[in-house]
Amino acid sequence: MKRIVACFYIALSWLFASGLAHAADPLKIGFVGGQTGYMAQCDQPNLKGMELAVAQINAKGGIDGKLPIELIARDSRSEVAPSAVMAQELLSEGVTVMISPCDVDHSVAVAQITAAAQVPTISSCASTPSLASVGGEFMFINCTPDNLQGGVLGKYAAEQGYKRALVLVSRDTPYTYQLPMYFADAFKKAGGELIGTVEYKLGQQDFAAEVTKIKALQPQPDVIMTSAYEPDFPAFLKQLRSAGVTAAVLGSDGLDSPTIWGLGAVADGVVFSTAGFPVEGSSLAQFASDYKQHFGEESQTSFNATGYDIIKIIEAAVVATGDKTDGKSIRDAIDNLQDVQVATGKITYRGLNRIPLRSVALNKVQDGKKTFVSTVTLQPGEIPPPN
Amino acid sequence: MDYFAQQAVNALALGGTYALLALGLAVVFSILGLINFAHGELMTITGYGLVFSLAAGVPYPGALICGVALAVFCAVAMERVAFRPVRRASATTMLLTSFAVSSILHTAFQNFISARPKPVPVPEWLGGAFTLAGIQIGAIPSLSILVTVVALATLVWFFQSAQTGLAMRAASEDFAVTRLMGINANRVIAASFAISGFLAAVAGILWLFQRGSVDPMMGFVPVLKAFIAAVLGGLGSLQGAVLGGLILGATEVMLRAYLPEALLGFRDAIALALIIGLLIVFPNGLMGRPIQAR
Repeated sequence: MKRIVACFYIALSWLFASGLAHAADPLKIGFVGGQTGYMAQCDQPNLKGMELAVAQINAKGGIDGKLPIELIARDSRSEVAPSAVMAQELLSEGVTVMISPCDVDHSVAVAQITAAAQVPTISSCASTPSLASVGGEFMFINCTPDNLQGGVLGKYAAEQGYKRALVLVSRDTPYTYQLPMYFADAFKKAGGELIGTVEYKLGQQDFAAEVTKIKALQPQPDVIMTSAYEPDFPAFLKQLRSAGVTAAVLGSDGLDSPTIWGLGAVADGVVFSTAGFPVEGSSLAQFASDYKQHFGEESQTSFNATGYDIIKIIEAAVVATGDKTDGKSIRDAIDNLQDVQVATGKITYRGLNRIPLRSVALNKVQDGKKTFVSTVTLQPGEIPPPN
Repeated sequence: MDYFAQQAVNALALGGTYALLALGLAVVFSILGLINFAHGELMTITGYGLVFSLAAGVPYPGALICGVALAVFCAVAMERVAFRPVRRASATTMLLTSFAVSSILHTAFQNFISARPKPVPVPEWLGGAFTLAGIQIGAIPSLSILVTVVALATLVWFFQSAQTGLAMRAASEDFAVTRLMGINANRVIAASFAISGFLAAVAGILWLFQRGSVDPMMGFVPVLKAFIAAVLGGLGSLQGAVLGGLILGATEVMLRAYLPEALLGFRDAIALALIIGLLIVFPNGLMGRPIQAR
């Protein structure tokens, strides 16, 4: 008797639960990101951007006014193995779209699981172009790919009349190694010369040996390019300037943070590429004010906006499928997106093998503020080919 | 020659910072037999102390003192809360406790302060440099060297002349006998943590001046370097820790300065291989005492 009651109870609760689930049935988006560990400085702000986008969309009744989004975030602890475990866990919770961590190898770990399940996956901010091919047909990049940024900076450097460039690289990550190499490719193609490559280790702090090396170069470089970010970049820049090296310094989107323009006079004149600039009336300015209203604090980094972008990309793709919510349809729809308006500007995936085309904004640090230089869109021939 | 002299100054500045950190680890190890891996977090705490007291309107020198005081306080609190309950447990238990303290602090910084770096304003004059006998020396490296020398001299005086210092040296020789002489164990251990907190704070401030920001992971790399330096010098030997720090700093800088480009990627491997080589010749570290019983 007891057993029959138990069975009846289970059957009833199952019916009840499935009935309820059907009534709401949100689109489940999973985010495996480093909420603790070294990636937290990117993936925590990414999550906030995503939360804002989800809140805005759900306030209007969901995607297309009818399909609400449920965002489920898991902490990868900035490690590769837990990333895979968390991805598996989210799949069993039934997510339709996955967002993978900021770093490329962690994203590959997630992609190996989601690809088999045919769940489209977008990396929060990994920007190594080869991720899209290594990760398979279901893996998309969100942030500006390294070769695009390197291309923009190389072209800019040549246009400024710089003749001799030096790059500061670290082999610890593809971002800190390949991006300066793409810069060098573009700079050489535009007629410049690469006179040196100096290496550092992530988190090295002390750049005295490297700076002494640069200072000993004859002739001196006109421009030094690096994709180092905090804390390495400020340490390098301070030591470079205190040694009296006056070459122009170019950086990439890792520098888009108030702590960089807060460095004071030493950062004056640093130019860096990033996804956008909040010009009055732009989508990014709108995002900044929405963010402040929602969270009660200023957005501190561009990762807030790029996190927001991912949800907008998914929204656009679901709308394009005519509200289909299976992985394959959404994947195909993302792959076909063109000129989607997101917080940082417009984004296109069509015909690009899951590597987005974004406009790149050049920003300059001036008197403790971020100022706008220009927005650059490269011709396909000007983008260094991914290696 | 100029290039070498310049790099030698760089080596001394970096080695000095490593020496301060290694000494902080060694002071605690010599008494408790504990490698405190949360030592790096004390640097981070100094940074946050500095940032928040500046934000509260404390003038710069006062904020520096607040930062140092906070680190000393936290070091002592760390001992009281985390290490005292496991003092009689095995060395492994204490080591694991220190890992736990370190990772709890990391996560707390990330979730309760910010995962993003917080800018630390650095006085403008520290960005300058001066020329001495044809060698250009930055204000920060010279400050590093100066501060290291002063801190070490103060410590030497403390260990030679102050009563607590003498008690600590005695405790590091033989804790049981020292206690039989009527020395209060808790006081000696708390003092060793206070000194290690002070050294971490001083090294932390030098580090902060160079990087201009404090973030939750800031202490991770330095504590590893300090550990290597302390092992190289001989665990438990204070002079050894200083020597180890200087050698490690010099090795790193010279490898970075003189390795050909193709080998630069391997410089940490080469540096560690050299250190392993030294340890094969001096199994107890350069100035360590042989371990009599196992």
